Amino acid sequence: MKKISLIIAIAFSGISFGQTEEVKEEKKGNFFGGFESNSQWYTNDKNREINHPEDPFRSNSYLNLNYSYGRWTAGIQGESYAPNALQNYNPKYDETNVATYYLNYKSNKLDVTAGYFYEQFGSGLLLRSWEDRSLGINNALRGGKITYTPTDNFMFTALYGRHRSGFDVSGGDVFGFNSDINLFKLLKIESSDLSVGFSYVGRYEETDMINPDFDELTNAYAGRFNFSKGNFYWSTEFNYKSKDGVLYDSNIVDDYTKPGTALLMNFGYSKKGFGLDATFRRLENISFYSEREPEVLAPEKTSIYFNDKLMNFVPSLTKQHHFNLANIYVYQAQSLVYLDPNNGVGKAGEIGGQIDFYYDFAKTTTLGGKYGTKIAVNFSNWNNLKGDYTLFPPDYKTDFFGFGKKYFSDFNIEVTKKLSPKLTSSFAFINQYYNNQYITGASNVTVKTNILAAEFDYKFSNGRAAKLAVEHMWADNDRKNWAALLLEYNFNTKFSMFASDMYNYGYDANANLIDHETDPFDIHFYNVGGAYKKGSTRFALNYGRQRGGLVCAGGVCRFVPPSTGLGFTITTSFN
Amino acid sequence: MKTLALFLLFVGNFMYSQQEFPTVNVKSIDGETIATSSFNEKDKLYVFSFWATWCAPCIQELEAISEVYEDWKTQLNVEIIAVATDDSRTQKRVKPLVNGKGWSYTVLLDSNQDLKRKLSIANIPYLVVVKNNQIVFVQNGHTPGAEEELLAKLKSL
Repeated sequence: MKKISLIIAIAFSGISFGQTEEVKEEKKGNFFGGFESNSQWYTNDKNREINHPEDPFRSNSYLNLNYSYGRWTAGIQGESYAPNALQNYNPKYDETNVATYYLNYKSNKLDVTAGYFYEQFGSGLLLRSWEDRSLGINNALRGGKITYTPTDNFMFTALYGRHRSGFDVSGGDVFGFNSDINLFKLLKIESSDLSVGFSYVGRYEETDMINPDFDELTNAYAGRFNFSKGNFYWSTEFNYKSKDGVLYDSNIVDDYTKPGTALLMNFGYSKKGFGLDATFRRLENISFYSEREPEVLAPEKTSIYFNDKLMNFVPSLTKQHHFNLANIYVYQAQSLVYLDPNNGVGKAGEIGGQIDFYYDFAKTTTLGGKYGTKIAVNFSNWNNLKGDYTLFPPDYKTDFFGFGKKYFSDFNIEVTKKLSPKLTSSFAFINQYYNNQYITGASNVTVKTNILAAEFDYKFSNGRAAKLAVEHMWADNDRKNWAALLLEYNFNTKFSMFASDMYNYGYDANANLIDHETDPFDIHFYNVGGAYKKGSTRFALNYGRQRGGLVCAGGVCRFVPPSTGLGFTITTSFN
Repeated sequence: MKTLALFLLFVGNFMYSQQEFPTVNVKSIDGETIATSSFNEKDKLYVFSFWATWCAPCIQELEAISEVYEDWKTQLNVEIIAVATDDSRTQKRVKPLVNGKGWSYTVLLDSNQDLKRKLSIANIPYLVVVKNNQIVFVQNGHTPGAEEELLAKLKSL
């Protein structure tokens, strides 16, 4: 413990030193970077029948350092999972090592990187490499990338690399080319705007199969456009992945090969005080990994489970709620083909869409009141692809615009109203439909929920502020009802504390639950904590119970096991 | 434990300040590519506010500033740039939300988080104030009512 406090003291002194230091005169050389550490001290919890893991103290830390000199920049990221990574992270994140490094040259027209890099083509449905530490995703490509921007209206990118996987790289080679063109700007058409893009992504992986019914190089293409005229906009993209082996029970089998497609359309109309947006998407067999067959990393857990070796980004197009209870039954985009011989479920993708509506009732109108009222409505609905699914031999045939079994829907409305110069309130109603059998396959439970939530923010003087949020969820199945409460108080703009509780009640422990291992009895999920921030640095400490379930960011999810304990987070950036 | 100590020592010792604002290509709300170096009017204060459509405190902060923004502009040569870090899950929601809220900010899309990564931003909301291409102030997190303190700070820069 002494050691820890000493280390913290050193870190503190460094931080305060870094901020008071005067601006260096020479401008050529520049250091920058950041540090993040998330630690957890897991404890036993008798009420929940939870025993802490063998190493009760675990921590994930990331140190990123960069140095730039003129047009050149070099950087390195070290990561430490010591003595062990936080629970249920990819076992390939082990101990301390250099994770990524790069050397970059950037002029006005040319941007060249050797080493690890991040990139996204279009909306990422064929290629996206990114980092999300809370999910344990870092699929940076190790190789080379050149981006050439001859004029403002053209951008071309070519790349080659292998995906980072733990502290190693995956076995598949990735090739990519992307172009983005501002077409109407180029043609000097000014009344409206049209930009177009084209991408190619190749994934090469050798196969042991004799006479496979697919090529070792899988080719994928995408075309897209963005059009806008005045307040109206419209964008569409189509993605195609060439014929490749489809997974059946985590393996590639003979004669089961299919191409994949993704169609994404978006329309909208918006002007000051009004916004309307509609999205349609259809996915079929568009899951894409740099290795065809998943790697087994833990008992019954493969690289797919840990979001490892991902080629693309297929987010679920639903509203990302900030209320806690609305994040219990979370939809995950269905890009994978899955035929389950145990329960007869067959799915090959998803079809559906969502609509958003925003309206601002102006001040001094009837509904706007003295300070104005803002309303946001969202509706999303997702179904399986309609088609014929056969289990033996595995096969499927889909209708392009057919809607199959319903996966999920979410209708929600949120009203934000300022009641006085010091008090702001917001009210939400959320109605969800969640078909677990088809979404995750864990059980045959379908849940319908209604959620009511209210939030109040009150400003005192000198940065003091308080927040109160209350939520209730009525569910007709699974764990039934939940109530939640959150209190937050800011003592000033630097220091804040919070206390929260989520309480699950009203269900029968013998009922058919989605997951029996995550707290199968009535329980309070309490949490208390505080945060201190100064400049770019933030320290946060919390103690409490973590509900077992999915933690999602950007529509990609990670399963977090139930735990109780003390958490400590430091984040800082050097600038 | 040793490794963590080593990590933190590194932090302490590499606390050199990055003063220059990085040049990164981001997209405008209409999909055009814009270099961050184009925000370069002499002595103007550029406040880059990193937010996302799903981040409630971010929206709260931008709403609060929105109400006093016109007033700020009469007192200072300042421009607020709302950098949406939304990925492709929620990016299409940026434009209708911004218009629906009636915000008059310049809005940029940092869809694969290149700018956010260059600034090593771990959590949003996060403000970076840039003057003459130099980072002169940073604020992480949002506290209701903090915009008055921010205005005082901006006046001192």
